[in-house]
This record gives sequence, structure tokens and C-alpha cells, in this order.
Amino acid sequence: MTRDTWQKLKSDRFGMSGLVVVMIFAMIAVLVWSGLLGQGWSEVTGNRFEGASAEHLFGTNLLGQDILQRTLSGTATAFEVGLLVTICSTLLGTLLGGLAGWYAHSWVDELILWLKGVLDSIPFYLFAAAVAFALQGSPWAMHLAMIVTFWTTTARIIRGEVMRIKEREFIEAARAIGLPGLKTVFRHVLPNTFHILLVQGTIVFVAAINTEVILSFLGLGIKDGVSWGLMLAESSQEVLAGHFGNFLAAGVSLFLLLMGFNLLADALQDALDTRRLLT
Amino acid sequence: MNVPYLTRRLLYGIPLVLGVTFISFLLMVYFGPDKTYELIGKNPTAEQIKEVRHALGYDRPFLLRYGEYLRELVTLDLGISDSNGERVSSILIRTLPVSIALVVPGFILGNLLGLGLGLLAAWYRGRWLDKLVMSASVVGMSISFLVIIIGLQILLCTPYGLNLFPVRGWQVHDIGSYLYYVAVPTLALVLVTLGYNTRFYRAVMVDEIERDHIRTLKAYGASPVELLFKHVLKNSLIPVLTRIMFSVPFVLISGSLLLESYFGIPGVGLVTFNAITSGDQPILKAVVGLTGVLFVVALTVNDMLYGVVDPRVTKWASKS
Amino acid sequence: MSIPALKVTNLSVWFEKDSERLKVVDQISFSIEAGDATGLVGESGCGKTMTAMAILGLLSKPGIKVCSDGIEVNGRNISTLTTAGRRSVLGRDIAMIFQQPATALDPVFTIGQQIGAVYRRHGGGDKQQTRKSMLEALESVGFRDARDIAASYPHELSGGMRQLTMIAMATVCKPAVIIADEPTTALDNSTRALILERLKHLQKLHRTAILFISHDLAVVRHICRDVLVMYCGRLIESTDCQNLFSHARHPYSAGLLSCIPQISGERPPAIKSIPGQLPPLTDLPVGCHFAPRCNRVEAQCRTSVPALDYENGRGAACFRPL
Repeated sequence: MTRDTWQKLKSDRFGMSGLVVVMIFAMIAVLVWSGLLGQGWSEVTGNRFEGASAEHLFGTNLLGQDILQRTLSGTATAFEVGLLVTICSTLLGTLLGGLAGWYAHSWVDELILWLKGVLDSIPFYLFAAAVAFALQGSPWAMHLAMIVTFWTTTARIIRGEVMRIKEREFIEAARAIGLPGLKTVFRHVLPNTFHILLVQGTIVFVAAINTEVILSFLGLGIKDGVSWGLMLAESSQEVLAGHFGNFLAAGVSLFLLLMGFNLLADALQDALDTRRLLT
Repeated sequence: MNVPYLTRRLLYGIPLVLGVTFISFLLMVYFGPDKTYELIGKNPTAEQIKEVRHALGYDRPFLLRYGEYLRELVTLDLGISDSNGERVSSILIRTLPVSIALVVPGFILGNLLGLGLGLLAAWYRGRWLDKLVMSASVVGMSISFLVIIIGLQILLCTPYGLNLFPVRGWQVHDIGSYLYYVAVPTLALVLVTLGYNTRFYRAVMVDEIERDHIRTLKAYGASPVELLFKHVLKNSLIPVLTRIMFSVPFVLISGSLLLESYFGIPGVGLVTFNAITSGDQPILKAVVGLTGVLFVVALTVNDMLYGVVDPRVTKWASKS
Repeated sequence: MSIPALKVTNLSVWFEKDSERLKVVDQISFSIEAGDATGLVGESGCGKTMTAMAILGLLSKPGIKVCSDGIEVNGRNISTLTTAGRRSVLGRDIAMIFQQPATALDPVFTIGQQIGAVYRRHGGGDKQQTRKSMLEALESVGFRDARDIAASYPHELSGGMRQLTMIAMATVCKPAVIIADEPTTALDNSTRALILERLKHLQKLHRTAILFISHDLAVVRHICRDVLVMYCGRLIESTDCQNLFSHARHPYSAGLLSCIPQISGERPPAIKSIPGQLPPLTDLPVGCHFAPRCNRVEAQCRTSVPALDYENGRGAACFRPL
């Protein structure tokens, strides 16, 4: 990112507050991973459905587990899912998109486009169920399903960029010696597309977390461990009986993290959009 | 109507359908659960195993089995549900109308409102109305579907809130009861899609409003109403239509999945949800395959509509 | 004295951003009589298009401010009209032709629909009358197959044909004033000649006043009687074309003329260019804007702004005119 972009980003108050929120959650996740926070999420430390108290800041759930601990641990889960899916799908998307763009209009391109079309056509939740089926209920089924379907948008963007750059390079290459190789194109493409990938990355992260929530509700999500999705799934029955602890804790945390990411993504996009003069 | 263009779009859909059905087949049937042991009692002999496997068709070559799957889909001979023994095709016929009745009002409302708000925000771009609409959209996008559903349930269906609507169920026999049962799910659907729709439509409209021909129109005294509703809308029909067509299958499946499982509405979504949790393979096979085909059909219809809506497209298409 | 078709008095346009004012157009005044064509020339970015947009009242975005002592079309001040009032004037009494014919027309409506809409909008009459006037307008710009053109979409026509269509749209209501903003810049030479010839013909036919904006002096000379030269938002010379080309008074105008490659003459003089560069909007020189690049500059040029000083009907904003 150039200095200009960074300046514009800094001046966007919403974007910066989004960044701060995301950083806070990220910190929590790191603390959980390093064993300093949220370790007691599975222990039964209180009675059923205790309200908020000094000992259990968010109260306890059906089994007497501390909701705060579960919320904190859920943060880590959210980041695990988000990061894994985002990184893998971005890598996959960049690779396949790059290939498709470089060999544009050839059989490689057509093949990858066809694959994209097929994967885009399968309704995601059914696909996730199918993958879970095929993998006999492995806990990684969910991540795999997401990675395999989320790479398509990234690939489309990269393909477009590579095709554009390929045109330019060829004009220069006409004067230079020999054609630029695939590696050279990547070396040119990546620095230029980094910011677009960043924005797309935040969008994928948000999608991944949202998807995990719904998959957990369907029973296809996190198996061992706690996530906000699982907490919400638990809460679906509980709220009818008046126990709002799980719902509020998971719901609000989810909202805050998603808001943070959305604001950040918006700010990034605005900062990178050099076309507009006035808003 | 440009026939070569249309036939070409249709033909292009075929490899996609094949791909989708192939993946469904691979995942659900080939890698799916092996039912041999369910059907045999304890201590099966090698003979019995072989017999059952033969009856189930497991020992036949891959392509043949795939071909059979395709045939099943095309002829809608979809087998019998594991859970209640009912024919899958009759299950689908029974439940599909319910899902459609459930999802359509929210879908239409969500898009109409999104279009309207997007138009408003684009016209008053940069001013407070725009910022308000955009902020509301971001908030809307940040609330998970599940949270919306649960939240609405609490607010509208329980004694902790207004308790105006039922928590679950679908005893629909007339307009009144229809509205009674569809109200909360529709509201949920509108709320979850409104944020995304508004942002998308706003972006499309902003692009259109910036165009030179709008400036020409202004220079010749066109009123804002004429500008927006005659010119901007018509020019943005393509991205709008694309979005609508693309989101139909999505909303139908995912929307109905969650809404029905939550509100206990007997539609395709609930059936699918139960099939997922109980591992009812025939139903899942059918639903996955058919919805994949539906998607491809939506894509193709969408492409064909381009040719009707935009006079430029048929010209380009007939050149290429 | 007759009322001028277009009279602009002290028009200014500026950007306002965080209490900073960037003046794009600075107190421009001029008038054009019915049937006359006046050119508005200057380098890209000197404010010509902004002037045109300001006259039509199309600059109502946040951050842009327009101010004038009067913009009169046939004696009627259109700058003080309400939005609705102005809308009834645009296209009927004053019309504009834009630079890029490729994008100026709506791609999803036919030519006939678009021109007809203009006519109908300004109280043209019923469907029949509208269609008749629309076809007449197309024929008057030279289309022999007006019906075919009317049924076509913009992308089916060539650039020149599209611009002719724009001219038809501009003349369908027979306005008193037409502002043409670089109408031939995007076209090739042969089409350019055709467009210019058509414009001239129509101008004589309807006695329309034309404000012809261009950075190309040669084109302006071909069609205009008078010419206005702009530099950095200010009007620095106002005279008729012949006088400008034979004896420009302002050093900038003289410089512009010497930049034109001459084909005629035994030994064409070497092409000179004006030294220096256009100052940025954010950093305009105090006093005469042209002072830093002028070879006739003196002390007062850097401190005070020269007014347009008229001599024999020819004005130059210079303390030491040529």
C-alpha cells in the first residue's frame, strides 16, 4: 500500500475504529491460543443458567459452563476458521486465477472457468453437507468446503488483473527480448493486486465466520471446541425459556467483530479508490 | 430474438450441469455412506455381503453408476426417503410450494426496498441521507442471519417481547393465516438481505448516474424522476437482473433451510435440514443434484435475458 | 441596440474544500448576438468547460460554488430561476453539444426516442407533431434516411453520425443559444469538416448564437466571428478572429498563435512554445496569472490584476499589450 492510501485510511474514523475492534479481538484470540484466557470453557463451574454475577460475568449456560470463558474461546475459534479459510482460499484463488489469466482463452482457462462455474452453482450449505458426508464427519469438512468454494471470487479478480497486465507486458515485451515468463507476471501482478486481495480477504473472513455460525447451527460446524455458532445454536431453544446469556454474548461479539471487519473493508476500499474526487 | 445467441448460451450450460451433477454424485453417492451393513443383520457371511452389495449396485462401474444418477435426476425417479419411506419426488412436490410461498414475499420486498434505498442513496450521494442509508446497511450486514432470526423470535413471538406471532408452525388455510405465519420469516429475510442489496444497488446506481448520457439529459432539462426511473433504472437493469437471478437459488435454498428449520415450516429446507442431520441419502442426493441444475438454469436464463434487455448485447454476441 | 442572445456578467466558479477556495472561473463576462458565433479558446484546464456547465446551471454538486451577476438568454436571467424553471429553459432556449458523442447518448433508447423526448419535454405537442419535428431535425443535419436513423441505437452509428444526432437534438426546439463544447475534438478530420459545415448551416438557418469552445484555434477561425481567450480561469483577450490572427494583443494569445504549425508561407517560422507550465489551481500567482511565463512582464503585473481593457472593441487584460 502506498503512503497516500495509508494516509487516507488513517483519516477515516470509521475505518480506524473498525481496525481497532478487529485488533482487540485478534489480541483476545492470541491470548486464548497462548493459554492465557478462556481456558475454562468446558468446565462446569456453576449452576445451570446463572445470571450475570461477579464470578460469572456473563452467567452460565445449560450445563453450568461459564459463558464468558466460552465467548473468549469462541473468539479464537472464529479467528482460526477465518484465517485458515481466508489464507487457503486466497492462495488457491491467486494460483488458479493467475493460471487462468495467463493462459487466457486456452483450454486451461476454460477448464478453470468451468470449475468456477460449477462450484458457484452448487448451493453452499448443501455442498458443505455433501462434503461432511463424503468425509464421514471429519472436523475439517467445514473448512474444506469453504476453501473449495470461496476461492472463486479471488480467482476472478486475479484472472482479470493478470489479463490486463499481460496486455501491457506484451507491448513492452515486443521491444524486449523474449516473452515474460509466468513467474515474471506473478512478480508484477502480486504487488499491484495486494490491496485488492486485502479487501477481498476481509470480505472472505467475514463470510467464513458467518458461514461457520450457520453450519454449526446445522450441526455441520465445529465439533470439538466452542464457537459462537455453537453458542447461538444452543441459545435457540434457551431464549424461548427466557435465558438470554448465550444469545447476547455470542450475538453481540459476532456483531462487533463483523462490524469491525466491514468498516475496515469499506475504509480500505475507499482509500484505494483513486477515481473519486468528492466522496 | 437472436437464435444463435440463445442456443449458444443453452449449450454452454450443459458442461456446467454435468459438472454439478458429477460433483454431487461423487460426494454423495460415491464417497457417501456404505449402506451394506445397515441392511444386513449381525455376523454377515461373505456371501450375504456380496449379495447386498450387488443389490445396492455398489459393484458396478463408476461411470455406469454416474449415468444412473443422471437418469434418476432427469426422470425425477429419485428413490425413497430413508427416514419415512415416502417417495422423494412426492416429498419434493409437497414441500416445494411451501418453500416458495415462504421465501417469495421476503425476496421481493428485500430487493424492492434495496433498489429504492440504493437509488435514494445514489442520488443524494455524499449527503446525510446517503451516509445514513450506508451506515444502516453496514449494521445490517454485520448481524448474522441466525442472530436476526433468534432476535426477531424473541421480540415478536415470545412473551418477553410483543408476542404477536407464532414461534413456529405453518397452519395455512387462507390469506389471514398465511400472513400470520409468514410475517416473521419475511421480516427476517428482508432484514438480512437489505444491507447487502442496498449497497450493491447503490454502487450500480452511482455508476450509472455518473455517466455522460445522464449529464446530457440534465442539460436538456430532464427531471430527476425521469432521470432515475426511466434512464438510470433501465440502464442498470442488467446488473440488477443478474443479481436477482443469481440470488434466487441462493435465497430459496439457504433462506428456506434456516427459516424452515427454525420456524418448523414444512418446506424443502426443513426436509433438507432433517436429511442432513439424519443422513438421509436419497433426499440429499436429489436436492443437491436438482438445485445444482436449478442454478445452471438460472444462469442460462439470465444470460438469455441480457439479450432481450440490452440492445447492445445481441449485437456483440452475434459478432463473437 | 438589440438584446444579445447570450449575456454573461461576472461569472465565477470555485471549489470549496475545507475552507480553501480554488477558483476555476474568475469573473468572466461576455455577450453574443443572435446569429453570431463566438469561440472560447484556451488550454485544457483553463476553465472553458466549467464556464459552459456553469452557464447551464449543471454544477450543483457539493463543494462547487457558482456565482454571477447575471446569465441572460434573450434578456431573461436564467441564473436566478428555480430548478424547475431552469429545466424548462435547458434544451429549449439554450442547448449544449458535448465532446464525446460515444457516451453522450443513452445506449438503451433509440435516437428517435431521445430526440423526441427533448421536443415533448418542452411542450412540443402530440405524438405526431413530435415525430415530425424529430425527423425534420434529423434531416436538417443532413441525414437522408432520417427514419432509419431514428430507429437506430447509438452504438449502431459512427462517431460523426452520433455527433450529428447531438446537433439534431440541440436544434430540435430551435434554441436561441447553442454551446458546443469541443464538438469535433474526438472526431477525425473529414468528419470534423462535415460537422462544422452542418453547424454553420444551421446557425444561419435559425439565427442561433453559438458559443464554440475549443482548444484548437484553427477550427475556431473556421466557424466563429469573435473569439474569447481564457487563461487560468480568466478572460484575457476578447476580439474578433481576424484581428486575433493578424495581431493578437495579449502576450499569451500571441504565444498560442505561434504554437500553431503553419503550412502556408515560403519559410514557415519555427514552432515556438510558451515557456513554463500552467500553474496549478492551488497555487495561482497573485496579480496577472500569466506573469511568470510572460516575456513582457513588469512589476505591476505581479501585484495587480489587469482588467479587460477595450480599445476599438478589442479587449486584452494586459498592462503592456502588444
